[in-house]
Amino acid sequence: MSDTRPANRRGILGRLYHGETSIDFYGRRRYGFLFSGLLVIVTLVSLLTSGLNLGIDFEGGVAWQVPASSTFGTDEARDVVEENGVEVANAKIQTLKSGDVESIRIQVGDQTTEVRSAVQAALAEAAGVDVNDVSVSSVSSSWGRSITEKAVRALVVFLVLVSLYIAWRFEWRMAVAAIAAMLHDVLISVGIYSIFRFEVTPATVVAFLTILGFSLYDTIVVFDKVQDNIERFAATRTGMADITNVSMNQVLMRSLNTSLAAVLPVISLLVLGSGVFGAVALREFAVALLVGLSIGSYSSIFVASPLLAVLKEREPRFKNLRGLHSTGAELEHMVVTGTSSGLKNVRRQVQADEHTAPSANVTPGALLTHPPRPRKKRRR
Amino acid sequence: MTRRRLAFTLFGLLIVVFGSLAGNLVAGNEPSLGLDLQGGVSVTQEPVGEYNSESLDLAVERIRERVDSLGVAEPEIIRQGDAIVVNLPGVDNQDEAIKLVQVTGAVLLRPVLLSQMIDTPDSVVDDGSSTTTATPNGDATTSTNVSTTIATAATTLPSSTTTLPGGPSRPATVTSLPTDTTTTPATTAVDAQSTTTTVASTDAPTETEAPTTDVTLPTDMPDPTDPNATVFVQNADGTEFYQLGPAFATGEVFNNDAQADIIAGGWGVRVTLRGGATGADLWNSGAARCFAKDSSCPSGRMAIVLDGVVQSAPSVNQPSFTGGVDITGSFSEGEAKDLARVLKSGALPVRLQVQAVQTVSPTLGSDSLRAAIISGLIGVGLVLLFMLLYYRSLAAIVVAGLLISGVIQWNVISLLSSTNGLALSLAGIAGIIVSIGVTVDSYVVFFEKLKDEVKSGRTLRNSAERGFKSAWRTILAADIVSLLGAFTLWYLTVGSVRGFAFFLGLSTLCDMIVAWFFTRPTMLLLARSNFIARRRVFGVDPSALAPGGAA
Repeated sequence: MSDTRPANRRGILGRLYHGETSIDFYGRRRYGFLFSGLLVIVTLVSLLTSGLNLGIDFEGGVAWQVPASSTFGTDEARDVVEENGVEVANAKIQTLKSGDVESIRIQVGDQTTEVRSAVQAALAEAAGVDVNDVSVSSVSSSWGRSITEKAVRALVVFLVLVSLYIAWRFEWRMAVAAIAAMLHDVLISVGIYSIFRFEVTPATVVAFLTILGFSLYDTIVVFDKVQDNIERFAATRTGMADITNVSMNQVLMRSLNTSLAAVLPVISLLVLGSGVFGAVALREFAVALLVGLSIGSYSSIFVASPLLAVLKEREPRFKNLRGLHSTGAELEHMVVTGTSSGLKNVRRQVQADEHTAPSANVTPGALLTHPPRPRKKRRR
Repeated sequence: MTRRRLAFTLFGLLIVVFGSLAGNLVAGNEPSLGLDLQGGVSVTQEPVGEYNSESLDLAVERIRERVDSLGVAEPEIIRQGDAIVVNLPGVDNQDEAIKLVQVTGAVLLRPVLLSQMIDTPDSVVDDGSSTTTATPNGDATTSTNVSTTIATAATTLPSSTTTLPGGPSRPATVTSLPTDTTTTPATTAVDAQSTTTTVASTDAPTETEAPTTDVTLPTDMPDPTDPNATVFVQNADGTEFYQLGPAFATGEVFNNDAQADIIAGGWGVRVTLRGGATGADLWNSGAARCFAKDSSCPSGRMAIVLDGVVQSAPSVNQPSFTGGVDITGSFSEGEAKDLARVLKSGALPVRLQVQAVQTVSPTLGSDSLRAAIISGLIGVGLVLLFMLLYYRSLAAIVVAGLLISGVIQWNVISLLSSTNGLALSLAGIAGIIVSIGVTVDSYVVFFEKLKDEVKSGRTLRNSAERGFKSAWRTILAADIVSLLGAFTLWYLTVGSVRGFAFFLGLSTLCDMIVAWFFTRPTMLLLARSNFIARRRVFGVDPSALAPGGAA
């Protein structure tokens, strides 16, 4: 070990701060895969059994919102709607709280314009408020369908374009890993909506898209580092596992920083915006974002990168280095210096090869391990 | 990169950014708020059945005129694909809003009973004066038409001048000039009982009151779009006032092929008639009555009316038409093209169906806005605090970068608000708040790369250059993915997702601009000075920055 700097003296936070951690992400990839797999299964089960609680913007329908009072509650609202000849069996009637103001929201299927105004007037009369205080939203079912179709089509086009871009800018394995991680993030965020029966509104879709964008962004920053390191270690016989581990440890602090920077405003939106100020419109949005952004940062470290490592290990270049990876001090050395601890690896490699191939071809370059000479200072 | 060039880049950016900020402030541009933040009614309509793009365009224009005439502050009228979204902030009556935006682009052909100039002496615009003649097609019947056209054109002149004592001035031939029409303002009132208010308003030469007449007509006046009533309407520029009889026909008697053309030396419109009972026959029965000047069409003029506004009221010069119709007069090229568009729209009027209506109460809207702004600002404050703890004095650059990014976004949103009717929605604000994370990340990526470079033993100046180069690659790769997403979504979706996509794209572009034009020159300049070297900014002891620290 040529490293003379006493990195071990620092505490865990210090090492994190200085980017000198040596966590064996690759070795623990199965925990990540297992955890993610479980979440995905729970999501799929929930989606298949209970589905999503789609708002009127996607299914079509009419929603009235009336200020509530002590004499006007959900039961009274139900009666009023029923009296006007609207089927209430499938109606969703709920009480919304926004600050100190309580209101009742009645949501039913598609209705004609006449019924819409009639119910609006009747509700206003029953609640003892002005007609204009009863707000009505209506979406025809064909429009709702077309919105959903358009969004899905846009999403598919986007995924194709992004895959092509990543495949061109990096390589196809990274595209596969990045898209897989992103789908994982979005799926789990959707799962939260399915499990807790939150209503899916256009704002929710916006939140999902944000998650999707952030997940890809985060993954690409990590992959950029991985690619850097693949080039850096190209001359040495370093396995994909080591490269992944080194990259992960090097970008760990960045990932944490970025996630924190992205999540802090969202937490503020959630706690202050919807909690203290009571803006309901913000709450679901913030919940979706919070979950999605956290999952996004998690997946770029624990799903995307290990997945990439697994995929890359099938390449001939890394195939025979499979199963060998450094941990502990060795890994730390690689993280800190950015150079291979090749000597030991190669020695192990030679031992391993002796059983299979007698003439192990070890290049002398791989045996030489010293950090690069500092560049000469030159005045420009 | 010389020091001078870096400084030039930096100051160039600052001048552009803050210059346009000052420009926006002076011009009084500021971001307009979307419906969900302000309260109001939003109506989404989509055409059903057959229609052409002219009729859809005209429908949008008519909606805009109607909404404008109502005096709604900052209305938003957006075409999203074929859908038309009309957002009316501050309007709380839903039914009124729906009525307002339901236009068809349907054209009615009505006989002119009486007409009256509302003219200022210097008004030369005259799209009401025109004649209708048959198209000189090549076949035998139309060639005889040509001769009759000329003949009738000569004879119509006296008859059209006798139509109205108050408005004798409509020249009816192709060659006649409208400028000689010094008209007598309406002292001889049109004899309708309910027009007294309108006649009074005709004394005022201004056009400001004109649009209000066709939208907020008093209830005792017949609805100007009712085809079966006798109605009182104006032409598009408010220079002439008409009493029109029940419609003879709709614009659907014409084929969808109207075009502006030079006819007999001047601009006119040429259109062919649809065959059969719903086309030529219907038109000819009306034309015959106007030509004969019977009681249903005493003026001999046929008005082409779009949504209660007379587009043109040509005199009919022959009793029957075969094949096609020419409308000529002292049109300019633009006027002829406008009229052709109207006829095309009338030939295949669009049927708009209300697809979605949404009412947001103003208090709900303003509550959300306040909550979003306050919590957003606190969120930004928390991020900056964290940056300060982590990067110490370098956080100043992050703050400045965020500030510049914010000013650029404010500029663009303000400008587009006043020019293109863009409105900042809740989804947009949320998108901007989230984008703070991405902007901060660009700095984190850069600073971390810088740290790596310094640790591997390079000088600060060298590290800054290499660090930015590799960070820029990363930022570019990640931002391009965001831009791809923003563009795809913006192009292919509707509604709030589209709004979100716009703001995502905008903030991503800002991130790239700030990284290249602000962060790069600032950091490279600082790296040459002693600012960083004297401070513990990277979590690397500055004393270890000396070359050989890692050797």
